[in-house]
Amino acid sequence: MSALVSGVRRRGGAARRRLGGMGSAVSAVAAKELRGRMRGRRAFVVVTIYLLLLSAFAFGIYTYLKESAALGQATDPVFGIPRPGLPTFLGYGDAGLSASIGHALFSGLLMVETLLVLVLAPAFTSGAISMEREKQTLDLLVTTPLSTLGMVVGKLISALTYVFLLIIASIPLASLVFVFGGVGPEDLVRGYAVLFALAFGMGALGLLISALVRRTQTATVLTYVLVLALTIGSVGIHQFLVVVTQSRPTGNVIVAQQRHKSPEALLWLNPFVADLDLVCTTAPGSYHITCAYMSMVTGRPYFGSQFNSGMEGGVLIDHFNCPPGGRGCPAVAVMPIGGDIAVQPALTTSFGFPRDTFWPKSAAAFTVVGLLSTLLAAQLVAPTRRLRFRRPFRRAAVAPLVGATPTGSIEELAPGEGPPTEKATDES
Amino acid sequence: MSAVVQVDRLTKRYNGSLAVAGLELNVEQGEIFGLVGPNGAGKTTTLKMLATLLVPSAGDALIAGYSIRRQPDAVRQLIGYMPDTFGVYDDMRVWEYLDFFGRCYGLPAGRRRQMIGDLLELVDLANKREAYVQDLSRGMQQRLCLAHALVHDPQVLLLDEPASGLDPRARVELRELLRELRALGKTILISSHILPELEELCTSLAIIDHGRVLASGKVEDIHQAFRAGGVYLLRPIGEAGLMAAEALLAGLPEVASVARRPDGQLEIALRGDEEAAARLVAALVGDGVRVAAFAPAASDLEELFLQITDVEPSAVMPGVQEVAA
Repeated sequence: MSALVSGVRRRGGAARRRLGGMGSAVSAVAAKELRGRMRGRRAFVVVTIYLLLLSAFAFGIYTYLKESAALGQATDPVFGIPRPGLPTFLGYGDAGLSASIGHALFSGLLMVETLLVLVLAPAFTSGAISMEREKQTLDLLVTTPLSTLGMVVGKLISALTYVFLLIIASIPLASLVFVFGGVGPEDLVRGYAVLFALAFGMGALGLLISALVRRTQTATVLTYVLVLALTIGSVGIHQFLVVVTQSRPTGNVIVAQQRHKSPEALLWLNPFVADLDLVCTTAPGSYHITCAYMSMVTGRPYFGSQFNSGMEGGVLIDHFNCPPGGRGCPAVAVMPIGGDIAVQPALTTSFGFPRDTFWPKSAAAFTVVGLLSTLLAAQLVAPTRRLRFRRPFRRAAVAPLVGATPTGSIEELAPGEGPPTEKATDES
Repeated sequence: MSAVVQVDRLTKRYNGSLAVAGLELNVEQGEIFGLVGPNGAGKTTTLKMLATLLVPSAGDALIAGYSIRRQPDAVRQLIGYMPDTFGVYDDMRVWEYLDFFGRCYGLPAGRRRQMIGDLLELVDLANKREAYVQDLSRGMQQRLCLAHALVHDPQVLLLDEPASGLDPRARVELRELLRELRALGKTILISSHILPELEELCTSLAIIDHGRVLASGKVEDIHQAFRAGGVYLLRPIGEAGLMAAEALLAGLPEVASVARRPDGQLEIALRGDEEAAARLVAALVGDGVRVAAFAPAASDLEELFLQITDVEPSAVMPGVQEVAA
């Protein structure tokens, strides 16, 4: 009994030690890196400049919208198309304008921050390991008993801490949208969830490439090529497939659509598409260009107003034939009056796009990329255990006396291969 | 007495070329063991394998009984490694540098503080505690790197060319430091391509080239083995005498090599003791070669080192190689 207890205790101790070892590796490396990064004024100057730029940008959006409203043009500078005379704010008055400003601020800040994270997160990590190689400090680090996973995670944490600091520093500014309305706290939370996942995924990706490539310059360039491929490249390929696989609408059916077979997954790692999803669901009024795009991407019907009928590719439901009470349909079937619905804008207000259809997949994809990259980077850094997952060393398990093991076993192994199994080595 | 470091047929291949070819070494507790060899002899590769930075292609080595192949984590706890070329982190103070490595080895904060003070005292950097690492001179960085290898009080030190790039004074200081460490009971494995540097410092030596041990043993033993032979200068009279002497010497088993010097003397590397030298002179005279002068050249280990590392490894000194086995 007592043996069992002590055995359990011992095992618990070993697990704790192992976790503690990993923890100490992470904290040692992260503390060292952060110390270097936050030393001097540079780190704080960067935060200040970043916030000043964001503020100026937000102020620009606000001023622009206010001015154009004064001119009678309801214009969403980020994604809306100015349609003078259209009744976007009809019946809402100042509240509509305010919500529109809130929405525009939210969209603009989200996009700009996405861009910054996309640029900064890999910048902080793409040199993390190649730099150690170049400066010949990696050997010193690898000969310590630090687990390479701990090392890599430590480096990632220190880089991400700074990116997260930038993201978090922008929260008060982003909260300005609540002053204008139109965007709920839950929308902001969604936006920041995407940003954090993006920072993690891209940071880890940069780290992986840094471990893969010998030189920092090459690693940085390669990382940004990948980032470009994920953003511009993915949209391009997706759009190309849309055009290629598209089928034309076939007359007067309930769901008049332009179906295509371009896989949505192509865009999961494009943070801007995730942003569009969030922008769409906070759009004031019923029609928004982002919703049309998201509808096209996800293949979900978008019950917008008639104004989107000119949009390319969106899946739209002819709401004259919308079943009453159907999702997104008006409670009462809209009857065509005079055959032309363009004169009935007020009837389109309850339409919208379903929430959370795209961005959670995107956030999950970034997280998965981040996790995989981290694990792979750790394997690449380890000199003796390349591409081989192995349990960490436990001191108690190996305690041969000095010189007790007879030497003389010799195994031919290809370079880079792991050590032989116990069975193979004991036959000497 | 058991060896702390046992190297058993350690082999490393890089893309088909053999960097280390079945190296065998035994280093006893408390020794300062020198690895000497020309550039590219496989010293750095050997030390890197011992430091668990490279996986051997074949063979193994045990450090205090732990295999560098199967128990690299245990080995890492036992060794302090100082690479031949290393960099330092920017934006880091001297004490932070040691503190960081202390954390890497899992030392608690209290011990780290004490360790930093002690080590800086030991490597004579106590007054540089708050200096930035990148601002230190080359010699100071070298000492700091040595201090980093001592952070966890390892049993075995692996030092790869620790004296390279140091001025004479710094070399002397380093030597003193290593003696001090030996007095603390550490086993030190040190590599260099400069033999005299190690000759004074080490207790044992291994001369390696082409990834093989050419000679190894206690410094006195090697001295004796080499002193027994040595380099002699012979000056026969006339070109004819020179030719005749060369022809004769080439056939003698005691002669390792013969070289003609521009001043008309022959440089003879001899195996064996003075008896052998006497026999050689007798043979020359008996053959009718007119000898004007025959005397030992100012010979030391260095010169012999140059000679034996010049020759194909298989042809070299079977007698001495037995010391290694």
